[in-house]
Parts: sequence; structure tokens; C-alpha cells
Amino acid sequence: MKNASSGLRKLIALAISLITLTLLGGCDVNTRMSTFDTKGPVAETQYELFMITVWVSTFIFVLVGAFYLVAMFKFREKKNDTRPLPTQGHGNPLVEIGLIGASILLLVIIAVPTLRAIWYTHDIPFSEESQLGEWYQGDGLAAAEEDNVLTIRVNGYQWWWAFDYPQLGISTANEMVIPAGKVIRLELRSKDVIHSFWLPRIAGKVDLIPGRTNQMWIQAGDSFEAWQEKNNATGTDEELRAAYAQYLQDEIHNYYYGQCAEYCGDSHARMLFRSTVVGDDEFADWVSDIKQGHTTPNGMSWDDWYSTLNDSPETLSDDINQGLNLFMTRGKCATCHAVNGNPRALGVAGPNLTKVASRLSMAAGWLNHRAEDGSVDEAQQYENFFKWIKETDVVKPGNRMWKANGGGIGELDELLTDDEIRKISLYLQTLK
Amino acid sequence: MSSTLTDTPTSSTTHDHALKPETSNLGFMRPDHSKSVLIDWLTTVDHKKIGIMYGAIALFFLLIGGIEALIIRAQLAVPENDLVSAQRYNQLFTMHGTTMIFLAIMPLNAAFFNFLVPLQIGARDVAFPRLNSFSLWTFVAGALVLNFSWLMQAFSELGWFTASGPTAGMDDFVPGMGWFGYAPLTERQFTGAGTDFWILGLQILGIASLGAAMNFVATILNMRAPGMKMMRLPVFTWMTLVVSLLIIFAFPAITIALGQLMFDRMFDTNFFQVAEGGQPILWQHLFWIFGHPEVYILVLPAMGIVSEVLPTFSKKPLFGYPIVVFSGAVIGFLGFAVWSHHMFTTGLGKVATAAFSLLTMAIAVPTGVKIFNWIGTLWGGRVRFDAPMIFSIGFIWMFMMGGFSGIMHSAAPADAQQQDSYFVIAHFHYVAIGGILLASISGIYFWLPKIVGKMWTGNLSTWVAIFTTVGLNVTFFPMHFLGLIGMPRRTHTYLSGFGWDGYNMVCSIGAFILAFGVLLFVIDIILCMTKGKPAGNDPWDARTLEWATTSPPQHYNFGRTPIIPARDALWEHKHGPENRNINFEADDGHGIHMPSQSWMPVLASFGFAPLGLGLCLMQVGIPYMGYVAIAGLFTIALGIILWAVEGPGGYHLHPEEDKI
Amino acid sequence: MSDDAHNNDDGHHSLMVNNKKLLMWLFLGSDCMFFGTMISTHLIYRKLYPESYDPTSLFSLELTSFSTFILLMSSFLMALAVSAMHKGDIKSFRRNTIGVIFFGLIFLGCQVYEFTEFVHAGLTLSSGTFGSTFYMLTGTHGVHVAIGVFWLICMYFYSFTGKMDAHQSAVDVEIAGLYWHFVDIVWIIIFTAIYLIEFI
Repeated sequence: MKNASSGLRKLIALAISLITLTLLGGCDVNTRMSTFDTKGPVAETQYELFMITVWVSTFIFVLVGAFYLVAMFKFREKKNDTRPLPTQGHGNPLVEIGLIGASILLLVIIAVPTLRAIWYTHDIPFSEESQLGEWYQGDGLAAAEEDNVLTIRVNGYQWWWAFDYPQLGISTANEMVIPAGKVIRLELRSKDVIHSFWLPRIAGKVDLIPGRTNQMWIQAGDSFEAWQEKNNATGTDEELRAAYAQYLQDEIHNYYYGQCAEYCGDSHARMLFRSTVVGDDEFADWVSDIKQGHTTPNGMSWDDWYSTLNDSPETLSDDINQGLNLFMTRGKCATCHAVNGNPRALGVAGPNLTKVASRLSMAAGWLNHRAEDGSVDEAQQYENFFKWIKETDVVKPGNRMWKANGGGIGELDELLTDDEIRKISLYLQTLK
Repeated sequence: MSSTLTDTPTSSTTHDHALKPETSNLGFMRPDHSKSVLIDWLTTVDHKKIGIMYGAIALFFLLIGGIEALIIRAQLAVPENDLVSAQRYNQLFTMHGTTMIFLAIMPLNAAFFNFLVPLQIGARDVAFPRLNSFSLWTFVAGALVLNFSWLMQAFSELGWFTASGPTAGMDDFVPGMGWFGYAPLTERQFTGAGTDFWILGLQILGIASLGAAMNFVATILNMRAPGMKMMRLPVFTWMTLVVSLLIIFAFPAITIALGQLMFDRMFDTNFFQVAEGGQPILWQHLFWIFGHPEVYILVLPAMGIVSEVLPTFSKKPLFGYPIVVFSGAVIGFLGFAVWSHHMFTTGLGKVATAAFSLLTMAIAVPTGVKIFNWIGTLWGGRVRFDAPMIFSIGFIWMFMMGGFSGIMHSAAPADAQQQDSYFVIAHFHYVAIGGILLASISGIYFWLPKIVGKMWTGNLSTWVAIFTTVGLNVTFFPMHFLGLIGMPRRTHTYLSGFGWDGYNMVCSIGAFILAFGVLLFVIDIILCMTKGKPAGNDPWDARTLEWATTSPPQHYNFGRTPIIPARDALWEHKHGPENRNINFEADDGHGIHMPSQSWMPVLASFGFAPLGLGLCLMQVGIPYMGYVAIAGLFTIALGIILWAVEGPGGYHLHPEEDKI
Repeated sequence: MSDDAHNNDDGHHSLMVNNKKLLMWLFLGSDCMFFGTMISTHLIYRKLYPESYDPTSLFSLELTSFSTFILLMSSFLMALAVSAMHKGDIKSFRRNTIGVIFFGLIFLGCQVYEFTEFVHAGLTLSSGTFGSTFYMLTGTHGVHVAIGVFWLICMYFYSFTGKMDAHQSAVDVEIAGLYWHFVDIVWIIIFTAIYLIEFI
């Protein structure tokens, strides 16, 4: 009924389709969340292990595939075949044992680097130059912490991220700033359901499971020793250090993309995050900015501002002040959102909004306003703030800002008007 | 050797001495020899009819699951699409997975088990025919409960009711927590009644599977014809045995996990409530202790099918039969030892991660052995590229590719990047579609002529092969890359700019190509059943006992019990030496003892629907539903009691002497 | 082939274990995994949170030992009932079966009493993880006993129809016996792993 040509046709179709789609898909693997173009030792180790499995698989594929194809063609039934039945062989134990042995050997080739990589990626490496005392340029570092590496607590919520830096006394949300070239310890906790922290170019993912704390270590860029080895770099210590710093600046300082990788409910697809990798000085500046927080829009002290709000609110008539007013009163934003500096904006149920205007995205990485040169696109940022406040349930269905246990924007009696949202957005844009 | 075994088929009615039904111990008429087709099929205990019903329902749900997949792919074809809402998308991927696994593949496997195993071992029927019927109809009840959720969602959208009581404030009525339902997302504070439908649906399906599994183990161990030693069994029957044992020992884990979750949701226990000390990771362990054997439950029958087709169309025996059988058993056994490879990213610790990593690699060895042996079967044979063969050959290639991505996953640190991304979706679809589906299609092409007595028409199978294979590869090959450049799974949409756009469009196009292939397959089946010419007993020159019967087989399978001289008994009978002929037991004049049909298993199974639905609707807050559930429980109990009391009954047939 | 004793006795190619018995063994294998999972869950949570609850003041080892003994004795009577049916002695079968039922009911009564006391003392299904695992495990076991009692009651009444005799019913009684012994053994394990272990 059927003959070899139909099998052949099928194979050709398969080959063509595979080649076509590989070409169609493009060969660009240097994308925002690529696991091929790695920028840290953890991801690099994982990538190299992956490539070992690829090579072993390809080897097996070619070998087995060859036998498979040859078997089909060499032993196919010819037209009007009148040959007697083929030899009714039942097997060959020697061949079996040999193949089992070969399989085990190939698996050992994968198993050994696997075990090494498990140990390497799991245990936080000892690195003197990653210790806070060695590189942290900001002030206020407790003596007890000087020998520790930077620890960031990653707290997962439906559907955003809080990043606490307990050693430095600050918190931020959704965009994590980290120094380049240092071992960093992450503690992963969830407050509701299971999430997963995935920053592919830096490291493979680890889950955030409520009820327990997972931990992982990451490092953006190679350590000084590793960089030296990889590049066979020679020279004086000063020259090497300068070259190393240049390497970090050119290749590692960047804006990295991450995403939640464990299904966590309605808006799982919109729970992204960012990690900005910077140099030590920029990092210290950022920390001190956050610690300092924000002043009032017109330069008054916060106490004075609140008195004015109480006694003569009409004097706070410009858009920004009115925006802050709405933020604190009718909008009820401060119930959930903290803004450092402001003594009455202490909410912890939602993302910390200190320096929110310096972030290049919002709504956990979903609404973007990063310009081509890496700076903030202010027009787009305004639109994003506006859209988020006005249509938060469209941007992130099911989120708590819309309907937070009876509170939330969706429950305001007389929802915020467009003009009010405009003012709040303008105020937020001042939080740089 | 000439064969009296492949005579022209007789008519399916034979000379019965007792065509009138008798009364059971209960005093009711047994529904034997019913003139009504509906009653005949409802109360049947004939493994062949039950197999056909499983198969038809499975194919139906394969299409439903496929449509769910097409909507998913349509939604993902372009970034930031809004074809379906986030909630709907999440429900679609949950139902797609649940439907494909529990309502399509498992019953399709059950269809093959049911139809073939008694024939392949030379038996009259399974060990417990009424239990067989119970499993079928319980499966139907479970499918009903699970899919009733869609109706509830529709009613809710129409505004006819809102959830109150335990799930007040939630508006998801279709399961939307992913097919493995990780806690604590499945707890009451995060998901609505959809989770309850999932729990109850799966529990009912589990009971159906357990009943069938125990039935098949008893059948295979106890009902073999004389001479049918274990090492003479067809590989397919061996795989049925291994799978049945896997079901018996793996399902309890999920039964308990689902029970614990149900208690959390209904009775305020704290198994997975974090605030009271519950540990979500316990759910994962229990689920995957079931879940990993489950994937071997899904694939081993496919491997069994391929192990039958390849020798038939190579005209030589399976290469290394004992090792293939042993590998199947080893895979089943080791399948219980690798469950945490689904949990590499949960922070297991170095030692556990290493152990599961190595064990997962180990399981590649028996799998590889099977592939080598299949190729060894082709080697030195005379390969005919008939329709069943094309698909079995395709299976080897596609399953191998799925196996490679499996090996990649087994290296736990590499898995840290691949897990929960499109890479793993690529892996399991290659083994599920490239493996299980292609093998199942191969099995249908192989055995449908035996089942319906008609041969395939035309060349459509070639086109089916081309479209499904091309579709499979165009859909799922790019997903490897998609995962490796960072696209997580279970995301209802994605942003542009990540390099995912092109790949997603290609995948979506591929999905429709694959769907077209499946459509052609359905058309081919319809053409065969309506326009096919009579197939004859043994159209493929096959090797195993089922081909010794007529097509379709007589109601009683074999007129006289065959005595089996060797493995591949039919082949030896046809082409082997004289002393390898199949002889038959002498006719002792009692005739053929047939099991009676019965209403009682149907009654018992029927009770699962009100039980399941009652509990789910109770969670929705609809009043009095607890009573409906209790009524369901009573119905089940009543059905079982009557089943026990009515007795097995049975009647005798006396077919004409010279027919088999 | 129908689901009674007519399996292939000509077969040197069957397991030589009656179909129904084989089915019961398979079911018990599955039930083993079932209880094993629940017991494991309980023990895991006890290991994780040993301080979360101290049941030693609540557990009455005297009562539970008594009910354990009762269940053990019921197994003994069950064995006698099986033996009686093998010999075709219906009267003896009935006597022993009534004994098993009676002891089973005493066991269940003790369980109900115990649970009521515990609930009054504040240990409910919602009491942390201890309450959840304890009640689910012992409750499921209790349901198994109740189903067994119900089965035996049905068998007891059926024995009056005259349709039970050594030939037809020995297997049926045997498999009821297997089930009953299993339920008893599981209880011994539960008694040890849930009650006794707290007093170590």
C-alpha cells in the first residue's frame, strides 16, 4: 500500500521544515534575556554545562540517526520483492551490552561536570573583594557587616518584587540596583504564592516559596582573578585593575531583564523585574539617594508642609503640590506606598516609590519608558504613570491596587478624575 | 504454513442456545442480548466495545484539547495580544494540559489495553468484566465533572449567579492553576471553584484508572492461554502490565494530595496553609511522586505499540525482546526515583539535587536501549512503509529528540535556566506529540482494520504524516530557543523587544499545520469506517494472536482456547516449523462461557457525577448541594452492593464447529 | 471469563492465585501507598514543628490501647470466620462474623468518643498541621473500618439466603478477611507512629 517514497517524502519535508524554521527564527541569541550571552559566572557555568549536553546529544543524534536512516533505506522492501523472509534474528547480547556501556559512558561525561556545577552554583564562593568592607563606598555600614557580602532580600508578591538591602537599611521595588563584579547573596521569600526569580543573563532561576527562605548567589561580571585568567592579562597591578574596571564598565554595566518564572496567578505574565548593574561609586550614590529620600516639592520641611496642608491647602495650588496632596489624601496612595523622606508615607503593602521616577519601567517591568540611550523617556513615563493609575486593572488584572481588601483605587467613592491623575503623575515624576 | 486461523470472517451472530436473558440474584433481568443498541452499549462488559468507547471519547477530547491549544497559540502569535483575557488564557492552558493527559492520552491508552490485551493473551475477556465497565463510566463521570466547569464559567459571565459561601469573591470557575496545581495558589484565598472542579474531576478519574489497572494486572497474570508464558507475551501486553502496576502504586500519592487540598479548601485544614505551618513544597513532592510515574504511564503503552508495529513491518522479530521488556520494567521502577527533577529550582539542596540529577540520567539508559533495539529490529529486515510503519518510524526520531532535551534537563544547573520556560514545553511536547501521539496514530492505523473490519482507503496517511510531523517540528522546535532566550511558560502575553516575536509567530503557524494533520487523520478514520473494503483477518501479515481472529473479532474472541507454542505465536504458526503451530484445546461440549452484561456498574459510576458536582457546587455556594453529594455517595454504594449481590451470571455460546 | 473462581486452572500459565484474591492484594498494595503517604505527611510535619503541639496531655494511651486490643481481637475472630467458611460451617461463620462486627463497632465507638473529647479540648481539623494530619489519617482509617463493618453486615445477612457455601463463598470471605487484617495492621502502625511516638 505504501512504499519507500512516502517515507522519503516525509523525511525531506521534515528536513526542510527544520532548516526553514531555524532560519526563520533567526540566529540572534544576544537578546535581553538570553541564556547564551551570559554576563556572570553562575549563568556561564550553567551555559557551559548545557553546551556539553548539546554536544553529547548531537553526537548521539548523528550516530543513531545514521544507523536509523541507513536501516530504513538499506533494508527497505523493493517493488515486487520476491526474496524469502529475512533472517529472523532475535538480538545480539554483545551489541546490547556494548551499547549500554557506551550510553553510561556518555552519561558520565555529562554527570561529572553536572556534579561540579551543582556544587559551584549552590555554595556561595569565598571572595574577599566582595566583602562589603572592601568595596562599599557609602556610609553607615555596621562593623559586623564588613566581612559579609552584600545580601539582598527578594520578596515576591502577586505581582511585583520588593528588594530589601537590610545591611544598608534601604528598600526598593521592581528594579534592583547591584554593583558589578561582586558576589551577592540573595534571600528569596514569598508572601503569598510561589514565584521564581529569573535573571537569565546572570543566573538560572530559584523559586520563592512561601513558608521558607531559599538562597542563591549571583555575580554580574567575572571576579578580578577570573577575568585575569580568561584574558591572560599581564601588566602591573594598577594597569590590570584599570583594565578590569574598563571591562566591567564596557561589558557588564547594563540594564538587565528578569521575569517571574513560576505561574503565580492571573498576572504572572506581567511580573517582570530589572536589574541595573553599576560601578561601586554609582551604587553608593544610589543607596544614599534612597536613604535620603525626597523633599517636599516647594522645599519646605515636611512638618511645615503638612501644617500648610492642614491650615491653608489652597496655597499648595500648583500641579505638583496638588499631586502630593492627592497622593496623601484622596488617592490614599500612602496607605500602601512608602516614599522615603516623607514621614507619613510609610505603607508597605505596595512597592516603595522612592526614586520611582529614576526607574526605566513600572508596574513590575511591564510599562516601559527607557529611551534608546538608556535614559528616562519622560513623555512615555508620564503616560505610563497615568495609565497605571487610571486603568490599573487593565494593565494588571487582579492586582491589589485596584481592589485591596475593600480598599484600593477601584473602591474610591467617586473615582479619581483624569485631572487628578494627571497631577499625581506629575508629582511622581519628581521622585527622581 | 497454511492457517485455519485466517479464514474469511463469519457473521457475528452465532448459534446461541440461550438467546433469552436470565434474571440475576436480585430478581431483575440481566440486560443480555438486548435489541436496543443504546442499552447494549451502556451495559456491555465486552472489552472490545469498552475499548472502542474509550477510544472514541479519547479522540473527542484530543480535539477539544487541541482547540484549547490553538486558542493559546493564536493568543501568543503576536506580543501584547488580547484575543483572550489573562484569566481565560490561564484556564485554557490548565484545561489543555489536564484534558490531554487525563481525558485524551490515558483513555486512548485504555482503549488499546482494553481491545488488545485479552486477544493478545488468548483470553475471553478481562478478569473482571463488570469492573471494566465501571472504570469506563466512572471515567465519563470524571470527564463530565471536570468540563462542567466551563458551563459554570459561562453562566457566571452571563450574570446568572456569583460565587458565595466558601469561594465568595472569586470569579474563576474553570480550573486555572496549571495542570499540576501548585499550592498555595490552589488554596481558597487565591483561586475560586475552578480548583474544586479540578480536584474532584481528577479524583474521580483516578478511581476509574485504579479500577482498570487492577483489572489488567489480574487479567495478564491469571488469564493467559496455555503456553502463553510471561516471556512469550507481546511487548504491548508487557507494557500494559508495567503501566498498570505504576498506576496502582503512583496514584495514591495524588489521591492523598488532592484529598489534603480538598480538606484545606472545604474543611479548613492546614496542609498547605502557610500561615498555620503548612508547607507548599509538600504538595510538589506528593504531586510529582505521582506525576513522574504518570508520564511513564503515558509513554510506555506508546513504546509497546511501536514494539509491535516495527517487527511486523520489518518482517523479523523484535531485536532483544527480553531486554526491551526488562527496560520497560526498569523505566517503570526508576520512574519512582526521579520525581524531584521537576523541583530542581525549589532549593532542594546539593545532595538531593545531585541524587535526582544522576538518577534522571540513569533512566536515559533503558530508554536508549529501547531505541537501539527498535533500530536493531529494522536492521537486516525487510521494511515496508505502510501507514502504521511510517508513524512508528517517525516516533523513533521524534521521541529521540524529546529524549535529548530530557537529558539536557537532567543536568540540574542547566535546568535552572530551562525549567519553567518554553524549553521544557518543547521537551514534553516532543515526547508527548512526537512520541505518544505518533505512536498512537501508528497503533490506530495498525489496529483499526481489526477493530472495524475495514481497510484504509487511499494515501491520506502520507499527508497525515507530513502535516503532523512538519507541524510538530515547526511548532515546538523553535520553542527550545524561545526558552533559552528567556521566555517563561504560562504567560498569557509578552512584550515586544525580547526577540520572542518571530519565534512565537512561527510556533503559532506550526500549531495550525499540526491541527490540519490531525484533521486529515480524523477524515481518514471516517473514510475507512464508511468506505473501507473488508480487511480480512490478517491484512498486515502480523505476528500476534489478535490477528488470528476475524476482523472484527467474534464476540467471544476465540472459539476454542489456543495453546501457545512460542513468542510471536501467529508468526511462528504461519512461517515457522510444524511444531510451532498453534493448536487448540478440545471442545468439551460446554460451549463458550460469556460474562453477563449489567446495569450495576453503570449505576455505581453514575453516582460519581452528583457526588463530584455536588461538592463543587457546594464550594460555589449553591444551597443544598451537600445533599446532592450525599445522594451521589448513596448511589455509588447502592450500585456496588447490587453489583455484588446480583452475581456474575453468564451464559453459554456454541459457535459453529469449524469457526474460530 | 467471568469474575468468579473460573480462572485458568488448566493454566500452568496463570499465577494460581484466585482472581478476586489477586485483585484484593493489588488493592491493598495501593491502599498501602495511600496510608503511607498520609502517615509520612504526619511524621514530616511532626519533625518540622515538634513544639507546635503537645498531644501527650490529650492522648489517653489507656483508651487507645484498649481499642487497639479490640481491633486485634476482631482480626482473630475474622480469621476464625474465614476458617469456618472454608469448612462450610455457616453457623460458626455467622457467630464469628457477628463478633467481628461487634468489636469493630466498639473500636469505632472508641474513636468517636476520642474525637469528641479532643474537639472539646480544642483540637480540631484546623488546629495547625497537627490537627489536620491527625484527623485526616485516623478519620480515613475509621472510614475504612466502617466500610469493613458494613461489608461484614451485608455478608452476615447474605449468609441467611442459603447462597453461601464453602465452594462459592470461601474466596469472598477470605478477601474480606484480607481487607480486615490490612485495616488492623495499618492501625498498629498508626498507633505506633502517631500515638506512642509522642511519648518517647
